[in-house]
Amino acid sequence: MSKILLKLIGVNKFYHMGEVTVEALKDISLEINEHEITVILGPSGSGKSTLLNMIGGMDRPSAGSIFFYDRDLTRLDDQELTLYRRREIGFVFQFYNLIADLTALENVELAANLVKNPLSSRKVLEKVGLAARKNHFPSQLSGGEQQRVAIARALVKNPRLLLCDEPTGALDLATGQKILSLLKKINEELGTTIIIVTHNSAISTMAHNIIRMGSGKILEIIANPHPVPPERIAW
Amino acid sequence: MIILLRKLRRTIWKTRGQFLAMVAVIAIGISIYISINTAFHNLTRARDIFYQDNNFADYYFQVIRAPEEISQKIEALPEVKKATGRIQQDVAIIKRDKSRATARLTSYNLPLDNELNRIQLLQGRFFEAAPRDSHIEAMIDSQYYTANHLTLPANITIIAQEKKIPLTVVGTATGPEFTYIIKDAGHLFPQPQTFAILMLPTRQAQKILGLDRQINQVLVQFHPGIDEKKAVSKIEKILEPYGYLTSFPRSQQLSHAALQGELDGLLTTSRFLPLLFLLVAAAIQFVLLRRMITRQRREIGILKALGYSNRKLIIYFTGYALAVSVLGVILGIMLGLLFAASISDLYAQFFNLPAAIGGINLKVIIYSILLSLGVGIAAGFSATRSLVKINPAEAMRPKPPGQGYHTPLEKWRWLWQHLSTAWKISIRTAFRNRMRSLVTFFGVTIAVALLVVSFFMNDAIDYMLDKHFNQEIKYDLLVRFSSPVGPKEIIYLESLDGISRVEPFMEIPVKITFHHKSADDIISGIIPESRLKTPVDNQGHQLTIPQEGILLSEKTAQKLGVKAGDKVTVEILIPSIKVEKKELTVIDLNYQLMGQNSFVSLSQAQKLLDENHAVNGALLQVEEAKIKSVEQELSDITGITSIISRQEEKDNIMSMLDSVIYFVGIMLTFAIVLGFAIIYNSSVISFTERRTELASLKAMGFSDREIASLILKETILPAFPGIVSGLPLGYIMAHLYVKTVSTDLYSIPVVIYPATYLFSIGGGIIFTLIGHYLGIRRLKELTPAEILKNID
Repeated sequence: MSKILLKLIGVNKFYHMGEVTVEALKDISLEINEHEITVILGPSGSGKSTLLNMIGGMDRPSAGSIFFYDRDLTRLDDQELTLYRRREIGFVFQFYNLIADLTALENVELAANLVKNPLSSRKVLEKVGLAARKNHFPSQLSGGEQQRVAIARALVKNPRLLLCDEPTGALDLATGQKILSLLKKINEELGTTIIIVTHNSAISTMAHNIIRMGSGKILEIIANPHPVPPERIAW
Repeated sequence: MIILLRKLRRTIWKTRGQFLAMVAVIAIGISIYISINTAFHNLTRARDIFYQDNNFADYYFQVIRAPEEISQKIEALPEVKKATGRIQQDVAIIKRDKSRATARLTSYNLPLDNELNRIQLLQGRFFEAAPRDSHIEAMIDSQYYTANHLTLPANITIIAQEKKIPLTVVGTATGPEFTYIIKDAGHLFPQPQTFAILMLPTRQAQKILGLDRQINQVLVQFHPGIDEKKAVSKIEKILEPYGYLTSFPRSQQLSHAALQGELDGLLTTSRFLPLLFLLVAAAIQFVLLRRMITRQRREIGILKALGYSNRKLIIYFTGYALAVSVLGVILGIMLGLLFAASISDLYAQFFNLPAAIGGINLKVIIYSILLSLGVGIAAGFSATRSLVKINPAEAMRPKPPGQGYHTPLEKWRWLWQHLSTAWKISIRTAFRNRMRSLVTFFGVTIAVALLVVSFFMNDAIDYMLDKHFNQEIKYDLLVRFSSPVGPKEIIYLESLDGISRVEPFMEIPVKITFHHKSADDIISGIIPESRLKTPVDNQGHQLTIPQEGILLSEKTAQKLGVKAGDKVTVEILIPSIKVEKKELTVIDLNYQLMGQNSFVSLSQAQKLLDENHAVNGALLQVEEAKIKSVEQELSDITGITSIISRQEEKDNIMSMLDSVIYFVGIMLTFAIVLGFAIIYNSSVISFTERRTELASLKAMGFSDREIASLILKETILPAFPGIVSGLPLGYIMAHLYVKTVSTDLYSIPVVIYPATYLFSIGGGIIFTLIGHYLGIRRLKELTPAEILKNID
């Protein structure tokens, strides 16, 4: 049994929107092991992105605790949360969110500059298969290429946890498959723990664990002893 | 359209910070326009009414002494509408503390009704020609009255013909030639403590000065449209036998020239200063609107798809700019009228204009409305041109990432490789948003230039005072005798306790002629080894007094077109002295900031007068602790007409500088607000435009401070070069300003202290930082989760 990387205990999140209170997360408890791929699956409004924000240290729960190893994130101040994001977390977004004024390589270097012992920016770009396009600006790259740069940017910090929010949401099937394969390769070669948030149930077949969510609650947690290689996933 | 209006209202509310910053710039521009123009019109109108009401003379003729009837003879000339004969002569006042002041005794024929340069009663009552108790009644200008804390009726003592004469001051008055009371062109500011206008009935003045039935000045008003030159030479001919000395037109009359100079300065300021603000406002609006159109591209596409025409959409976006203009002009008018009132108050202090100088000028207000609406419409229409090109189908698709591209700077590989990623982002963004960077650059340039100009006014005056009081003159006291004295008096002065050095001098009013051109001047004969007064050339180098020849005043030289080496003819203008004209070689030109006179050696001056040992004044160096007691002692000597203390003169001037500080303060505030508005707007635009980008940086683990410094870099890239280029622009603007306000009588040196540049740089940095931090103050609220919202 591998070590527990993340443990959520009774996490709740309320949003006060004017006079109504929206319950985005209700009593979430879960554990995520090191070196595994977990997919959080749910339709829009199920609370999966809110959950990702909590795990990524971008938002705080209204109640409950989130342990990253033995550190309780809910007890960290803003500055400590920033450092947590900086050192432990890599983010990949649906719309890539690259810096338009930086080339592919510079986008990766920007992230590399944040940490003490980053991986080599050039090597990471090589790993995601973009060595040849390193001097291109985002506007000169295709969506799949931009997402690869985004993944490289997240990886270069050598984070222990990679959070991907609908990483294939804006991509076609073939490109999406390649991105998922890349994630799988990263998990296998670097041992990075990966959490993927998606509404696409096909993707969940590649995970070691699947967490199904609905209306802010965990519906079920499924262990998948035989993950499917991403090349064989179709949607 | 009503829905669009509602949308407009919401957009304004959402961008209220930027909206208000632009409103502030417009409001300042308009308020300057209104206040200065209103002050200009009020001042001009008040002056014209005052001049007309009191028959302000067109020309002045100075004679040694002429019979009273001469004015009727002049009035009989066909060109002359009215001539008034009077006496004007400076006499000494002995104040209660025994110190001296100078009074310009001016006489008035009774009844005053039709005479020229009539006076207007301010307080008390008019003098009587022959009061019952045989006192001599006089009136005095209100500045001296106030500055010396007199109460009516006030007893004062003057010295005339070396006798002490008591007078009873029964009222205060002003006249068209006393709007700005200065002793001579050398004085920039009035000195109400030590210089008075003393008004007496002609008969009394004649008695006091021993000029029975005689006058020494003729004032003339011409019929409109006559040949003035011809008329003047006719009058000169009439006055020739009576010791005609000099004449000058109204434009050279001291108080008129000062007032005119002020009006010219106001007019220049009212033209160029508001223009700068409105231009900057237009540029900021242009950038902001263009930004809004790019940002609302999708919405514009939707509106177009719904069937809204380009015209309606252009009107909508222009409406934003117009809303800025409307609010700006309303605030500007209110502020402007408020400022106009306080500027008018200041002028009321400065110029003795009794007619009320309040009032609203409708034309100025209408112009200001047109100006500001024009700015809004121009900015709106030019910025919304891009809107026409938006294709609804294309616009509704999500926008591709911004076009990144390599900047020219990247050609310097070495430099580029050593830049941090943050600098690379900032430089590329600044290049990509060229228009916005340029507006920031020019706006900051203008704001900093205004800072330089504001500080410069202070510097110029400070420089003049320092130069004059600490370098040009080093005496502690200056005394003038009523008539030339010999070595005995000088030896007496040397014997007084506390006086460590006495330098006699001879001052002679002269007319200097060169190639048919002539100018009045004063020649100071001082000892060549003088330590208490040092003439300098235009480089500030000390000039030595030549034994023979003259150091001509630079202003006279300019008027006559004389240069060193030329020979000029010198004619003495002292009533009691009749000597031959003499020729002198111009050795060099002397340059003075305050005052204008030419220098010769004392022996040269005595030769001009054919008087061997006579002097008519002395410069004294006095031990500091004994200045007061020496002054007391000297004031008992009736042969001394005036005693001038350097320290007192300096203090007097310092007390007149409040208004300068007021103007400098207002200008500084305006410049800072302008700079702030520019930076604030560009920071807000950078911030809102890149919210997602910044949020993703935050998600990556960038701290607020690191993100703020990223935007700051982007702001200072155009702002700091703007600060630097504002310095020379400020210098140029100061030059232009001085050029427009300089007159024959005054010129302000363009002196800018290094500290001014430092302060201006500091001001620029301060408004940049404040604008930046207020512009990105919502950074804290920016949560990294924001970028994920559009998914769930």
